[in-house]
Amino acid sequence: MTAAGMLVGIVGLRLNLRLAEPASLGLGARVLLAALMLGSAGLFAWRGAPIARAIWGSKKDTDLRLRPLGRRGWRFFWEVLCQAKVIRQRRLPGLAHALVYWGFLAFALVTINDLAEGFGCDLLARAGAFGAFYVAFAGAWALLVAFAIAGLFARRFLARPKWLGEVSLESGVIALLIFALMATYLAMLVVPQRSPAAACLWWAHTLVLLAFLPIIPGTKHLHLLLSPLTVFLKRPEFSQLSKLEGDEEFGLVTGKDLTRIIALQAYSCVECGRCTEHCPAAATGKVLNPKEVVLGVKAYLNSYGPGSDAPLLQDEPEGRQKALSMPAAFACTTCGSCEYQCPVGVQHLPVLIGLRRGAVNTGAWEDRYGTKLFLSLERQGNSLGMGAAERDKFIAKQRFPLFDGSQEYCLWLGCMGSYDPKGREIVADFARVMQALGTSFGVLKKESCAGDPARRLGNDLLFGELAEQGLKSFAQAGVKKIVTVCPHCLRTIASDWREYGVAPEIEHHSEFMARHAALLERLMVGEQGGSVVYHDPCYLGRYREVYEPPRAVVAMAGELVEAERHRERSFCCGAGGGLAFLGEEAGDRVSHGRTRELMETGAKTIGTACPFCNSMFRDALGEVGGAAPPQLLDIAQLVARRLPAQALDSGELKG
Amino acid sequence: MKIVVAVKQVPEREAVLRVTPDGRSIDESDVAWTMNEPDAYALEEALQLKQRAAEAGLGEAEVVVLSAGPERVQSTLREALAKGADRALHVVTPESGEGSLAERGSLDVARLLAEAVKGEQPELVLTGLQSDDLGAGQTGVVMAELLGLPHATLVLQVEFAGQGGVGRRIKVRRELEDGWTQFVEVPLPALLTIQSGGNRLRYATLMGIKRARQKEMRELSAATPTQRVDEVVKVSPPLRLKQTEMLTGAAEEIAAKLVERLRFEVKVL
Ligand SMILES: Cc1cc2nc3c(=O)[nH]c(=O)nc-3n(C[C@H](O)[C@H](O)[C@H](O)COP(=O)(O)OP(=O)(O)OC[C@H]3O[C@@H](n4cnc5c(N)ncnc54)[C@H](O)[C@@H]3O)c2cc1C
Ligand code: SF4
Ligand code: SF4
Repeated sequence: MTAAGMLVGIVGLRLNLRLAEPASLGLGARVLLAALMLGSAGLFAWRGAPIARAIWGSKKDTDLRLRPLGRRGWRFFWEVLCQAKVIRQRRLPGLAHALVYWGFLAFALVTINDLAEGFGCDLLARAGAFGAFYVAFAGAWALLVAFAIAGLFARRFLARPKWLGEVSLESGVIALLIFALMATYLAMLVVPQRSPAAACLWWAHTLVLLAFLPIIPGTKHLHLLLSPLTVFLKRPEFSQLSKLEGDEEFGLVTGKDLTRIIALQAYSCVECGRCTEHCPAAATGKVLNPKEVVLGVKAYLNSYGPGSDAPLLQDEPEGRQKALSMPAAFACTTCGSCEYQCPVGVQHLPVLIGLRRGAVNTGAWEDRYGTKLFLSLERQGNSLGMGAAERDKFIAKQRFPLFDGSQEYCLWLGCMGSYDPKGREIVADFARVMQALGTSFGVLKKESCAGDPARRLGNDLLFGELAEQGLKSFAQAGVKKIVTVCPHCLRTIASDWREYGVAPEIEHHSEFMARHAALLERLMVGEQGGSVVYHDPCYLGRYREVYEPPRAVVAMAGELVEAERHRERSFCCGAGGGLAFLGEEAGDRVSHGRTRELMETGAKTIGTACPFCNSMFRDALGEVGGAAPPQLLDIAQLVARRLPAQALDSGELKG
Repeated sequence: MKIVVAVKQVPEREAVLRVTPDGRSIDESDVAWTMNEPDAYALEEALQLKQRAAEAGLGEAEVVVLSAGPERVQSTLREALAKGADRALHVVTPESGEGSLAERGSLDVARLLAEAVKGEQPELVLTGLQSDDLGAGQTGVVMAELLGLPHATLVLQVEFAGQGGVGRRIKVRRELEDGWTQFVEVPLPALLTIQSGGNRLRYATLMGIKRARQKEMRELSAATPTQRVDEVVKVSPPLRLKQTEMLTGAAEEIAAKLVERLRFEVKVL
């Protein structure tokens, strides 16, 4: 803060470090002040109490663990105190917001001092050099805040970005109040001591302050008070779902199922619209709008209070929480952009998937494709509805060894790797890479779906059965380490299965290949394959924070180029959340938009790291790829192509 | 209205089947079990009828599922309860040996089931058209005979027929050959054997499974002694008959060989 430091210096010099005190207040004025303060606080409490009740009266989060405190503390420091997320995702307005926030912190002392003055006690004046310094320091902040708030005001009322929604009077009033607070403070630095002007300014400043307080509850400016707590109390994991306990929990069915954390998050929403701005469903015209979903939960709590029996999902399109509808909940690709973007710590996925759980676990969701998927998983044990014999044939043809406990890795194929033609190619190529490296591996004789589509669609019965079955097969086969080409299987086995037991260690093939980069580079022959644009799969990036290993792999095989949105901001392919199985999308295809974006880089090849993304792009390229579409390859295929043929001697089929 | 649905537990489609050393039955020790597919459709039809009966003001219908077999069949009955059946009847037979399912033919099993149905006096009995494992297609129709009920086979859909006496007659859609269907009116009580594919099956839900725990599962002893009239002589896995022969040589030679085969062996030219 060197710039602020200089400002403090300059302002300090010019203003002689004095804050104009009003002439001492008479008894009557003091009584009036006390009454106003009481009134303001009373109004604040009166407006805030129902909200506090809605949050506290909601269901206790049984799975909330505060430890490890270090991680929570760090997040609080980084996201709240440093405003890192606010700034990173929207640079200029983010910085303006941060200035206002820091200014508010600096003004805490000034505010106490201001009220104390009313009762004849100027704390800062008594604090000697520190007081003098602080008056100037706060003055510098007042300048910065005044500029920032004026900028934000202009953005909201003149530039009007569409994500902010309708122009709100409330925001305008708040901005004016903040500006008035700063202006009156600055003016107090220039008017003479104990002058009538000083008294006027002091009263103006104090009245604005007392008006500000009761406005906070019931408006989005409640985030001022709640969001530090919300960020601190956030569930530690991305898309973390709570375990359903007892005989009456099925997910989010009624208000009884809303937890305190969900309620706290809903009331913290500042309506910035970042979640919706980055939502692939909203961007392609689906009914889902994640911001409205959060506000829908708030509207529900406001209308029914906590613990209500009224259903959360409403049929009438004009209902009080109209954004909470079954079609909206089932349009989500669970890409996690919303949850990642939210600056105040709202976690959308537990709500969206919670609503799905409520609908599916009670049988309320009726969908032709969804039912077909669930029945395939129930009967055939895989999401593509194929016979297990097809997988047997594939592993026999590829001469994949069966895992017998002697090999280092169990290569998990997943539904795509077992049954989808392109998924099989990816698995086969990755197996060749492992063979070239001399890594021993085997595949399970029988594999059921890891349960990702069941989990994301909210079918807990099916997911539980699949997870238990999977855990049993790994235990029976004595598997210690798993490697997979599918980020969905990866996330599901590593995190979601935990509800049922401990799975062996699992990693993604990108991590495996990046670790063996040095050796792979020595084995590689021929020319680099030209430019490759790498697409971050949601379930590898945002879900697992694996960004560098796949890039390292791509860099071995070609020249890495980045799409406009990449890493944490990567845009979904449209397949996640079980949507790959739910038939044609309404409106534009998510995959088409992303494919165009990847093609705009001009890269010769699109590099994927997930068989679902690959399959979505394959279809999309057929539609929007034009006459000379780029090549589409998994990162394992990029590597396999540069390995010499003799390094690829096939393994032997055992058992 | 009461509907009884007979459901059989059969090996899963993907189950690896091994013939027992005596060559006359399947080794069950390693087999995973599931609900016979046409029976799943019979259950679905019953559940939909229950719903339609309520909507048509015919009162609360009760769906009772019935299965004969050793203890393992209870998992299939539970599944039926989870999907919405109201209660279950389990006719308990020994795991193996005298009185077990392996020792009973279709007639014997039909007797066991008919005995259990008699105690219920239902208006409608539904069975699957045939079982996925034995495929005799007999149990349903023999039961109808034993119970003295009219029956219709290969039924895809059932609806209530008639105006005033709603519920006393039903109209069923039967599948004929080559995509033809036939509508038949049947007086109640009656027995129908249900063909797969007439409905959309529902998926099992967590709520269903939890509620199923509180539903009644009554065990009945298999009163009738085994009276087998036929005898299983041999069970064998399908023989692989398809053989691929690669024709080799120059293109003309291959073509000549191919024509010869098509003309004299396959006889299509
Ligand atoms: C379980 C099952 C599976 C089937 N699977 C297939 C399939 O995979 N593919 C397919 O195409 N079809 C299939 N069908 C249909 C089946 O092949 C024909 O519908 C069936 O053979 C017609 O005979 P039915 O059993 O209905 O006997 P009925 O029509 O009752 O006839 C039975 C026998 O009674 C005698 N009979 C009947 N009427 C007369 C008469 N007027 N005069 C003298 N004798 C008479 C004859 O000996 C006749 O063979 C299936 C049917 C069933 C029940
Ligand atoms: S997870 Fe993705 S698709 Fe779902 S609401 Fe959030 S941004 Fe939209
Ligand atoms: S949920 Fe978060 S990202 Fe979305 S509008 Fe509210 S505060 Fe903004």
